[in-house]
Amino acid sequence: MEYKVEAHRIMSISLGKIYNSRVQRGGIKLHKNLLVSLVLRSARQVYLRDYYGGICLSAQQAREWCEGEYMDSEQDKLVPGSTESLPESDGQSEVAVDKQEPSNVVESHAALDVESEASGEQDHAENGVLDSGCSELKTPEESPEASPTCEVSNVVTTISSNCISGPPPSNPKQATETPNGCQTDDGESVEEKLHEPIVPHTCTNRKRSADDSELTDSLPKKTKVMSSTLISKNDEKKAETEEMDTSNVSSLITIFGSSFSGLLSSEDGAQPDSEAEDSDSGQICCDQMLKNLNPWSTAIVAF
Amino acid sequence: MAGAGGGGNDVQWCFSQVKGAIDDDVAEADIISTVEFNHSGELLATGDKGGRVVIFQQELESKNQPQCRGEYNVYSTFQSHEPEFDYLKSLEIEEKINKIRWLPQKNAAQFLLSTNDKTIKLWKISERDKRPEGYNLKEEDGRYRDPTTVTTLRVPVFHPMDLMVEASPRRVFANAHTYHINSISVNSDCETYLSADDLRINLWNLEITDRSFNIVDIKPANMEELTEVITAAEFHPNQCNTFVYSSSKGTIRLCDMRASALCDQHSKLFEEPEDPSNRSFFSEIISSISDVKFSHSGRYMMTRDYLTVKIWDLNMESRPVETYQVHEYLRSKLCSLYENDCIFDKFECCWNGNDSVVMTGSYNNFFRMFDRGYRQDVTLEASRESSKPRSVLKPRKVCTGGKRKKDEISVDSLDFNKKILHTAWHPQDNIIAVATTNNLYIFQDRL
Repeated sequence: MEYKVEAHRIMSISLGKIYNSRVQRGGIKLHKNLLVSLVLRSARQVYLRDYYGGICLSAQQAREWCEGEYMDSEQDKLVPGSTESLPESDGQSEVAVDKQEPSNVVESHAALDVESEASGEQDHAENGVLDSGCSELKTPEESPEASPTCEVSNVVTTISSNCISGPPPSNPKQATETPNGCQTDDGESVEEKLHEPIVPHTCTNRKRSADDSELTDSLPKKTKVMSSTLISKNDEKKAETEEMDTSNVSSLITIFGSSFSGLLSSEDGAQPDSEAEDSDSGQICCDQMLKNLNPWSTAIVAF
Repeated sequence: MAGAGGGGNDVQWCFSQVKGAIDDDVAEADIISTVEFNHSGELLATGDKGGRVVIFQQELESKNQPQCRGEYNVYSTFQSHEPEFDYLKSLEIEEKINKIRWLPQKNAAQFLLSTNDKTIKLWKISERDKRPEGYNLKEEDGRYRDPTTVTTLRVPVFHPMDLMVEASPRRVFANAHTYHINSISVNSDCETYLSADDLRINLWNLEITDRSFNIVDIKPANMEELTEVITAAEFHPNQCNTFVYSSSKGTIRLCDMRASALCDQHSKLFEEPEDPSNRSFFSEIISSISDVKFSHSGRYMMTRDYLTVKIWDLNMESRPVETYQVHEYLRSKLCSLYENDCIFDKFECCWNGNDSVVMTGSYNNFFRMFDRGYRQDVTLEASRESSKPRSVLKPRKVCTGGKRKKDEISVDSLDFNKKILHTAWHPQDNIIAVATTNNLYIFQDRL
């Protein structure tokens, strides 16, 4: 358990370093940022493995739950303003970002691992991303409000080349409060269910493809947003902070999984330019999430 | 030449001089960023974060005091690099001098290469101690004489004047590096040199500034696949076709320029398998090599990573022949060192003249020497407290746990802001230059 806390802390510190490196004199130092990203990746792997270990304990229960609920919810997963409580939670656990995705993939650990390992080195992040979906499922334990962040997190996580996972974006708390309007009752029940470790549903490759291009742009932006949000949230309570850090980290994880380009964009002189528009792109289904993200878009543009 | 000191051999290191402000309040521009003796050891150059180069010259040994080697006094100071702004990328280019390398002396003038993140400059340092006097058409102050007053002709003659040392930039090698230059190394052929940045190494001719050859390029086609960067590079001291470069993954590659124009395929790969018991979040960071130096003989090379110094035999790629722990007590503190950025400090290392002792820096203004022959090591401190002339430096000890003995320092009371990153050893004598943050200490052995 303490490994998880330590890993989480290290992830937060690493993100802070990457954030600060952008404003340092002399430009971004490639070497240092590469090392920081390696630490971030290692910490994330430990963090997620920890989660994963806990989740595996009641995988059976989770599987049953998922199979029962998921098919209903997946249609609603990314529908903005949806009043279904289940989709929120399921969406979060699911990682499926695409409405068009008909099938829910509920995979066992083994399958998950195999898939991750099969991909090769670039997929380290993806592995983590996959796991982060799993890990995010756990966050409700810390703060039950995490559930509604699924959609946004799904969006964010899809960026990875092969995997989707659904780390909740930062500010899950706000998102949770009014997930989709009339969720409250359902939210609770969902939360209860979420409290059970759930086998992460990893989106398979086929799921992701539809959304890749759309989401890719949003990811770097989100990462930056997450970073700034991360830093601004230092004063909040630990549970909230942890949760938000997790989501920040998860988003950033996908960045590192999919590309170093977010890091190097200023190094090479390229600036992500379509990010601002993507922040409001259709993948973000939850109204509340939209509201949360808008203030961030200015931060994004600033970058 | 004698060894590290203590125990079986009798070198004792004494304080000789300290250069720099006594102020505790360190101006950023005064932070020393590189130290280098020239090939004879007569000149000692330092570069700082403000882009200045200061050269010290050793005074000739006084016959009155045979016990003392000559002191180093300021010989020349000049502004080598200025801050620049890259308008295309909206990035500021720091003027900090990353490396200075001397060229072997060919004539009366001295030449050195100094580099910041993007531009290398060749400087000529020459002395002027005579001036012509007795012009026919000009007065001594330069005003032209009225031609009608000129009645005789005379030949101007040279008269002695106060020594003036002039530094002039003879070549500027610019616009060849996209990433930050971390190393320069002059070839033994004295005609070419290499410059290395994070992803590429370029070969230059000292005479030609408008083009260079790219000899190593590890930039992946897709930057997302980047896993390692080049951290240091050096030419072999004797073989003009051979050079090595170290990476952030802890590997060293030796390349032979005769094999191909682009040396992406290494001739030798030096790598030590990682010890799995030491695995942590920070394993990759601490295995990143911060400096690589060939021995004077060319048979060995030394690498410095965060916690160790390793000596490699060029004939054996599988593992180093010697490994020295610099500050193993920091291994349990890696997390805090990561938080305060100390884990990214790039320590350098150096050989003594006959390759029997190696030296490197640590924290708390400590520096360490490892005697390869006697298998001894010593920790010394560069501080104002032990700065009385010719006072012998007392070996220091860091207490790693348990009861702290008298005179020992506990790990927790080490000052991590006082770090010695740059050290240099005189090529022939037992004289060392050790740079703390903004001071340069010169120590020599007790004669």
